[in-house]
Amino acid sequence: MTMIRNALGETPLARRRALWGLALVAPNILGLFFFFGVPVLAAFATSLTEWNVLKPAEFVGLANFVRLANDARFWQALGNTVRLLLMVVPTGVALSLGVALLLNQRVPFRTLLRTVYFLPVVTSTVAASVVWTWIFQPRYGLLGNALAIFGLRDVNWLTRPDLVLIPIAVVTIWQRLGFDMVLFLAGLQTIPRELYEAATIDGANRWQRFRFVTLPMLSPTTFLVSVLAIINAFQIFDQVYIMTARTSRGGVGGSASTLAYYLYDSAFGRFEYGYASAVALVLFLIILAVTVVQLRLQRRWVYYESEHG
Amino acid sequence: MTRVRRFAIVAIALLSLLLSGMVVAQEDSPTIQAQPCAEPGQLTMWVWDPVWAEVIGNAINAWQEDYCPGAEVELIQQPWEQYWDLLQTNAAGGDLPDVFNMSQDRFYFYADNDALLNLQPYWDEYGVDTTVWGTGLVDPYRWGEDGDLYAGPVNWDTVALFYNKDMFDAAGLDYPTADWTWDDFASAAAALTDPENDVYGASVYTEYQAGYANWIAATGTTPVVDAERTQCTLTEPGSIEALTFLKDLLDQGYMPSVSIQGGANANDAFNYWLNERVAMVSGGSWKLPEAIANATFNWDVVQLPKHPDTGISRPILHSVGYVAASNSDNPDLAANLILYLSSDEGQQFFAEAGGVAPANPALQQQWVDSFGDTGVNISAFVDALPDTQGVTPFAEIWDVMNTDLVINIFDLGMSVEEATQQACDFIVTQLPE
Amino acid sequence: MVEQQGRAHDAGMTWARSIPYISGRVISFLILVAGAVIMVLPFVWMVSTACKPASELQRLPVRFVPETPSCLENLNTLYATSGGFNRYLLNSGLVTVGRTIGQLVTCSLAAYGFARFRFPGRNVLFALSLGLLMVPFQAIVVQEYLLLRQIGWLNTFAALIVPGMFSAFALFLLRQAFLQVPIELEEAAIIDGANPLQVLWKVTLPLSGPALAAFAVITVQAAWNDFLFPLVAANTPETRVVTIGIALLQGERSTPYNLIMMGSFLATLPMLALFVLLQRYFIEGVAMSGLKR
Repeated sequence: MTMIRNALGETPLARRRALWGLALVAPNILGLFFFFGVPVLAAFATSLTEWNVLKPAEFVGLANFVRLANDARFWQALGNTVRLLLMVVPTGVALSLGVALLLNQRVPFRTLLRTVYFLPVVTSTVAASVVWTWIFQPRYGLLGNALAIFGLRDVNWLTRPDLVLIPIAVVTIWQRLGFDMVLFLAGLQTIPRELYEAATIDGANRWQRFRFVTLPMLSPTTFLVSVLAIINAFQIFDQVYIMTARTSRGGVGGSASTLAYYLYDSAFGRFEYGYASAVALVLFLIILAVTVVQLRLQRRWVYYESEHG
Repeated sequence: MTRVRRFAIVAIALLSLLLSGMVVAQEDSPTIQAQPCAEPGQLTMWVWDPVWAEVIGNAINAWQEDYCPGAEVELIQQPWEQYWDLLQTNAAGGDLPDVFNMSQDRFYFYADNDALLNLQPYWDEYGVDTTVWGTGLVDPYRWGEDGDLYAGPVNWDTVALFYNKDMFDAAGLDYPTADWTWDDFASAAAALTDPENDVYGASVYTEYQAGYANWIAATGTTPVVDAERTQCTLTEPGSIEALTFLKDLLDQGYMPSVSIQGGANANDAFNYWLNERVAMVSGGSWKLPEAIANATFNWDVVQLPKHPDTGISRPILHSVGYVAASNSDNPDLAANLILYLSSDEGQQFFAEAGGVAPANPALQQQWVDSFGDTGVNISAFVDALPDTQGVTPFAEIWDVMNTDLVINIFDLGMSVEEATQQACDFIVTQLPE
Repeated sequence: MVEQQGRAHDAGMTWARSIPYISGRVISFLILVAGAVIMVLPFVWMVSTACKPASELQRLPVRFVPETPSCLENLNTLYATSGGFNRYLLNSGLVTVGRTIGQLVTCSLAAYGFARFRFPGRNVLFALSLGLLMVPFQAIVVQEYLLLRQIGWLNTFAALIVPGMFSAFALFLLRQAFLQVPIELEEAAIIDGANPLQVLWKVTLPLSGPALAAFAVITVQAAWNDFLFPLVAANTPETRVVTIGIALLQGERSTPYNLIMMGSFLATLPMLALFVLLQRYFIEGVAMSGLKR
């Protein structure tokens, strides 16, 4: 009893606050762990088996992981995932911050422009797929025609293994921009106006106000957006699925395959649920490691108005 | 799959087609007779197509009224794109629907894992001669040492050549005939090509079903994987010959590349044809309603050209079937429903609806007539039936390698030898030991 | 901290001040408009295709204005072919409202707990919750199905709504927002004798307006557009949501783009309306208005 009490806190007040804290987080945590934690654990357990869903699962120990280490397609998918991440995250975060900053000013048609930038989030994936496939279509597409002006005729964006990641990255950024913009816009509102006024009185110019007021005050949002953007980039799936639907799903020779796509294809395409779960577990561990690093690094650059224990 | 057996198939199919005319006339001796169910109960049934969902719904109502009063069927349409994923997810919980639509290329996985009910005892009990369907239609649904039939065939589709008559007229060429050889086809493709106006002679190579596989089959080689599922056939001489023939047409500018026509799927080639960018396209019978409704030019259909040496054109035949789950609570009832849906009466609903052709041989003419007076030679598809090639029964092979092969050869300029070798290297890793 | 520039007071709120200032604004406006074209294009295609007759669907080159506008015909066909499109919309609405309200309660409580209270296992629990975001849903879809089957929830509204009432994403979003609320205001309320729930309700939440608006936009949108989860959890004609209703229009051999786009357009309208309504909470200054109340 005393041990529990001590674990909760040194003083009666600390203990009472600890109990409040636990009670507050309990509903969401219990719900999450039951409805999603249990399936995740079950999937991780599946990674130790061979299972095609029709026959009972067979325990195979770490065989799936051994196979994975020697699977060229897995390494290819991992490489593609990292490449996409590098293409998508910095550009995406910077662009959405830029758009949010611009749309936070008094520009004409602000409401309309914000809505337009939010549109990709709600536009049907089928429409996005058709239009983007058309944009990248070499002869009749928008980009194809534009490039023809520069003498670049019939570039096979969606079939060439060395190019196919570019359209996928573009569509990913396009689809994500409105989402991140909403988060940044919300974050920008929490910056007290008095800070800008004080900075101006101190003689700060626009860049200095941005650098020394906006950026630090926005850092919790930037942190949120970056963490989510990286998690999202590690899980790129839909964009691969839709952009390569009319050529070769996952790209010719797996050139557009990501880890999320590869695990889906292993499970539902080749009936290897155990192996797919092993891929999922490895993907999870990678994202977890990256996120933990981010959580640790945040102390260096994320500024919280108030952190209170 | 020997030549002798092929001729037997042809004979039987032709005979049944001939007979079908008489059968329709003498209503007392139907090809497949529906039977009353032993005991009503509950069934769940899945289909994937919005049009069939309605047709099958009507058929089920008739079955409940005429053959199985008191039976309840929960008919659920699932989205086509996710149909197989959902089926697998439900299978994981032991919840396969009692009756569901099956495709030839997916059959292997479910049969191999004992997930399907053997319908052969029921065909025997109901006195159905399963050879009435013709082997191309039902062979892919046979399983086990005795070749038991595990599915009731719903419908079939096969491939023919759609051509733009206006373009033939403009070029002063005679329309293609069923006796055309590859050489006739190639010279017409050359004459119809007009690079100035961005018009190509033909597009016939697209992914498997409506594309290159038909040309391989015409050489007498079984496309992709042999019938015993033991080896990859893409590197065999027949495959190389067919693919080289097609690649030559591409290299000479008579056919558009994958990127130019907007994709490696049969749909992309067909849309290109509908847009009058290409004079001839190989297309499935399932494309007839779309072409009739949307083509803005004069067109017709003809059987695919024959290989100059073998003298045959052997289009890919594909059929959809109804299967039942082996763990169904009501196997007898499920089988009875499948019998009805495959019977003359049940198939009437399909024949009248038009679109895909009903599997029941007695109803082919009715299907042709269902399109009305179009002036299109729809019978070309029925005429092709006697000598057809069943699909390769491996969905996972289809999906992964089939478009890669097409893109490598017809878009990225890889040689036929290298592309087929690459495909075979992958396929052998997927074949059962 | 910064160098004295001797510039007059400029809150950066007004449109015109000086020439470089105006030209800066004009340039940013032009950049925004150029970007907007790419953002809007697929949406425009969606609307234009919703109004095309079947014969115009696959034209090359792509046309954005239909030759024979057929909006009403397509709308009628959509309702005639898709059995109960209104029912699907209603179901989606129910699911969205249920999930959003649920998340608002569970996630704001939890976010407040993580932001303001110290308790054993706090960091581990937070990290584990975030960890759940890191497993792609495709990896657990079968296990999720088995879980819902085990508790007998398949094909029920409970399956569609209850698991969606909990969220690691919303927890993270709101925690970040709550950490931004000046703690002095909360402490004042505590001194006045308010318990944590009262502080959350009366001080923290009202001060988090923009974050709540962002939460609402994102959560509603995610619930409304959810596809894979409802597909495996509950897909009977009675429990079907609109995303599945639209997917059902696609046949194996036919893609009626005009009907699919008409359905998608109808499904998008409520989301757009919501965004237009809520986006005013992203306008500067609203955040602090809580202080004045």
